[in-house]
Formats: sequence, C-alpha cells, structure tokens
Amino acid sequence: MKTVEEIKAAIEAAVPGAVVEIVLNPSPSGQHSLRLAPGHAVEVAQFLRDDAELALDFLSNVTGVDWPDKEITEKVKVTRTVMKTVDGVEQQVEETVDEARKRVVPGYLEVVYHFFSMAKKHGPVVLRMRTVNRTDQVELPSLTPIWRSAEFQEREIFDLYGVVFTGHPDLRRLLMWDGFKDHPMRRDYVDPDDYEYEPTAHDAVLARAAAHKAAQQSASPEGTGVGQ
Amino acid sequence: MRAPKLDLTGPVCPNSLAKTQPKSGTLNRKDFIFKMASNPYFSLAVLFLAALGFGLAPLALAWLWARVFSPAKPNEVKNSIYECGLEARGDAWVQFRSAYYLYAIIFLIFDVEAVFLLPFAVAFTGLGAAACGAMLVFVLMLIEGLAWAWAKGVLTWA
Amino acid sequence: MVDEGLKIELGKQGVFVTTIQELYNWGRRSSIWPMQFGLACCAIEMIATTMARYDLARFGAEVFRPSPRQADLMIISGTVTKKMAPQVVRLYNQMAEPRYVIAMGACAISGGPFKQGYNVLKGIDRYIPVDVHIPGCPPRPEALLQAFITLQKKIDGQPLTGEGRPRYLDAEAQGEFPVPEQGEHDLEPTSNKGVWPIPVVIR
Repeated sequence: MKTVEEIKAAIEAAVPGAVVEIVLNPSPSGQHSLRLAPGHAVEVAQFLRDDAELALDFLSNVTGVDWPDKEITEKVKVTRTVMKTVDGVEQQVEETVDEARKRVVPGYLEVVYHFFSMAKKHGPVVLRMRTVNRTDQVELPSLTPIWRSAEFQEREIFDLYGVVFTGHPDLRRLLMWDGFKDHPMRRDYVDPDDYEYEPTAHDAVLARAAAHKAAQQSASPEGTGVGQ
Repeated sequence: MRAPKLDLTGPVCPNSLAKTQPKSGTLNRKDFIFKMASNPYFSLAVLFLAALGFGLAPLALAWLWARVFSPAKPNEVKNSIYECGLEARGDAWVQFRSAYYLYAIIFLIFDVEAVFLLPFAVAFTGLGAAACGAMLVFVLMLIEGLAWAWAKGVLTWA
Repeated sequence: MVDEGLKIELGKQGVFVTTIQELYNWGRRSSIWPMQFGLACCAIEMIATTMARYDLARFGAEVFRPSPRQADLMIISGTVTKKMAPQVVRLYNQMAEPRYVIAMGACAISGGPFKQGYNVLKGIDRYIPVDVHIPGCPPRPEALLQAFITLQKKIDGQPLTGEGRPRYLDAEAQGEFPVPEQGEHDLEPTSNKGVWPIPVVIR
C-alpha cells in the first residue's frame, strides 16, 4: 500500500484544487492521517473509492472529536523602553524582557474517517475534516453519497457533536430523541442533575446527593417517611 | 232363577282407571312428564342444556367474582391503542392483497357446486339420461369458469 | 385458616382442605405469562432461561405473550435508555391488572455499569413499581428462576380482602403511572415521586 505521502500526491494529482495536509501520529502505531479541506471533499472521496490502486471501498468507521478552545500562555520577547538608572543617570533604555501572553486558540469539531479496501485487502487510510469553529460554522460535506455506511455514523456525529453534514439524505438524531437540545459528547456537556440518590456516593456525587437531600428535606419538613 | 240385572246405561266395562283418566282437554303433571320423557329427542335436549351450562357456568362465576373482587379501573393510557409502547398514529386501514378475496370467492363457487352435486349423486340411480346430461352441462359451465380463472393467473398465489 | 397439622392429618386420610384465597392465588401464580419484552444483554439470558436447559415453562411461564393486554408479568431485561423509557411506562400502563414487574440485571435496577451515560435511565423503578429485583450483570438463568419463584411466593401471600390486598383489588388505588415526557435536556419528570421516593441513606 502506498504511504501517506504517496496517497497525498495521488489525491492532489487526481483532484486539482484539493487541499490535503498530513497530520503525523507520533505514537508507535504510526498511523498518520490526511487532513482534507471541505471544499473538494466529495471529489476526493470519489477518487479514493474508484481509483484502481487504492480502491478504498469500505468505510469502516466515522467518528468525531471535539477540540475545545485552548488558552495558550506564551513567553514572548518584547522590546520596551523603560526608565532605568544606568551608572547613576536616569535614562531611557531599550530592554528585551520575557512577557507571558495569553491567547485563545479557537476550537473546532473534527470528523475522522477510516477506510479499508476489500478488493485490494489493504488499509487503513485515515482522513480528517475540521469545521471552522465549534459554535456556528459547523458544516461539513457528507460522504454518504459515496459510502452508504456513513449514513448512520454521520447521523450519530450530528447527534452527539453537532456537526451538520450537508448533502446527507436524512440528517436527524440517532441515539437521542428529536427534541433533545444538547450534544452529549462535547467537552462542555453538563449531565442533567438526576443523581437524587446514590448509595455509595463519593466526591462530587456525594456533594450533589447531599444538596438534593437538603433541598428535599427543606421542601417537605415532615420527611418522606422512607428510611426514617 | 233370574239373572242379575245388568246396568247397561253406563259404561259397559267397569273402568277402574276412570278416576285417574284425564278429563278431556287437560293434562295433569304426571302425564305431561311421561309424554316428555318418552319423546325420542328428550335426551338430546338434556345434553344440550348440560353443554350450555358447562360453558356458561364458569363465565357466570367469573363475572360474579369480578363484580365482587376486581373493580374495573380503566384509564386513558390503559385503553390506548397498542403500538409497541409508542403513541399510535396513522390509520389502521391498510391495502390488503386481493389474492385473499379471490381465493375465498373461488372456494365459495365450487363449494356451492358441490352442494348442488350432492343430491344429484344421492338420487343418481333413479334418474334418467336427460338428468345426467343436464348435470354435465352444469358442471361444464363451472369448469369453463375454472379454466378462465386458471388462464388469468388467479390460481398462482405469488 | 386451618391448622397446618390438621391439614396434614386430613391429607393423609385423603381429605383436602383449602381456602378460596389459597386456591385463587395458586391458580394465579402457577400461570404467570410474561410479556415478550427484552431490551439488552439480559434479554439473551432471559431467552436462555426459556430454552430447554433452564426451562421457565415448567414454572408456569408457558408462553411469552406479545401483547401487553394478555400478559401478567413484564421482565425488564436490559438497560433502559431515556429514549425507550416512555415506551416502557406506556406498555406497563397498557397491561391488564394484576400485573407484576421483575427488574432483571443491574441496568434495570439502577442504571448498572452505564449509569453515567447520557442516555441511561438510572433504574426503571423511578417510574413503575417493581416487585422483584435481580442483581447481576447479567444474572444467571438460575437467578431468573429464583426471582420467578420469589414472585410466586409473593403472589401466594397476597390477601383477597383487607388492608394488605394488592392494588388491583382496591377500587381506590390508582393504577395509572404517568408517562414521562422527553424534554430538552432530560426526561420530565426525572422520577415518579409516588413510586420512587428518594430514599434516605442512614450512615
């Protein structure tokens, strides 16, 4: 099978205008992935499936990743003019100091595809696509028209992460009910508070259960009559 | 010696059953029962009533039990239409296969034909050739109908 | 009630003495027909219990009825998801009285190993009254048989009249359990306070 660089070259040759980037995987498995820009994704997908050498006809897994906003603290060398005493005389001197600057790298949602080839018996080839941000620009092209197995998996990612797949034949929630508002697999998902009772409560759960008990006992001062 | 004077004004033979014989037009209880019991269908009637009682008695007992012990407690969800736990939606009228109807209709036609053939078969030996011919015409008309249905493909279920 | 010793003595002589309550309960417990209702892995164990080796039919569960109207028992076998919970409660409501519930497996009792899941209901006894709980993940078929026998013993002890009589013989006791709505973030209400009062843990 071709290496990641060769696949990248093949894609760029076949689909002009496709933007492909290699994302290196430093772990021992060494499964490097190709990051695809959403613009020509459908044509690239068509090429990957129909190419004689690659023949990636089996989409085995589609999964999502939530990259939240990152706050990075960097040490930046800044040149500033300060008043300093040099040899007893106050002067304006230029100085380079290290300053800690914080900046927020905006997060995004990512969809990862794993492909295998049943005909050629090779694989996997890993593809990634990233959305612009996590809040309002969350559209990505759907690969369901090319691999049917993406249909339910993309529905699951829509349900759990909130990525909207354009071109999907039937995009609605899969695991949660249609009126559900949250996306449970995101990092900032808060569980609904239904731990009213926990027999072996610990840590945060114990604190929540105690708060529930207090609320219940203040609501009904005569007690529930159970266990009393 | 003179013969004793016979009283010939009343009934000739002294009838000892006179007292128990019914007056004309009325039946007393004993005779009524006797008449009933000697009827050949009497045992059938008794068995019929026993069978009816056998079936109805448990139902009556259950109804009595339910009235005394299990009160009826219908509520909205309990009486709702069963659709595997979901709220029922849509019409229950579905388009069913016309093959079912054709199957039943063809059976009915040939069943009625058999009904007509039965008395013919019973009285066959006493009938002449003309009757046999008429019956053959009848059967032929129905066979023609069957041949038409067969050719139309009605007899294939799929 | 007849003295037990007297009963046995009479029994030795060929005289059988019983009460209507005993007879009625014996008839009911010997023919509990479960509903065809399996959710997850525990359902496979339930199916195994109905098969030849652990035969549930010899205890009276002759057939599993597909319709709730004809079933006496609902075995909640498997994880109850929040998406499925309203359907379970609706099916329980559609069963005809007398009806019983066995919560089979850890997931049906309290959410089990998937308790922190975003879609897992933390125990079906939040919404419907459960008669027998079977711990296990999954419980063995023998455990399900034991639960069945426990349920039979419970039915044996149910009086026909008086204070302790079961819900279906009581004209005033409500038999309707409200079906939870699927709200925007969770089921509403999160539990049925009448069925599942929040237990107070005594430490």
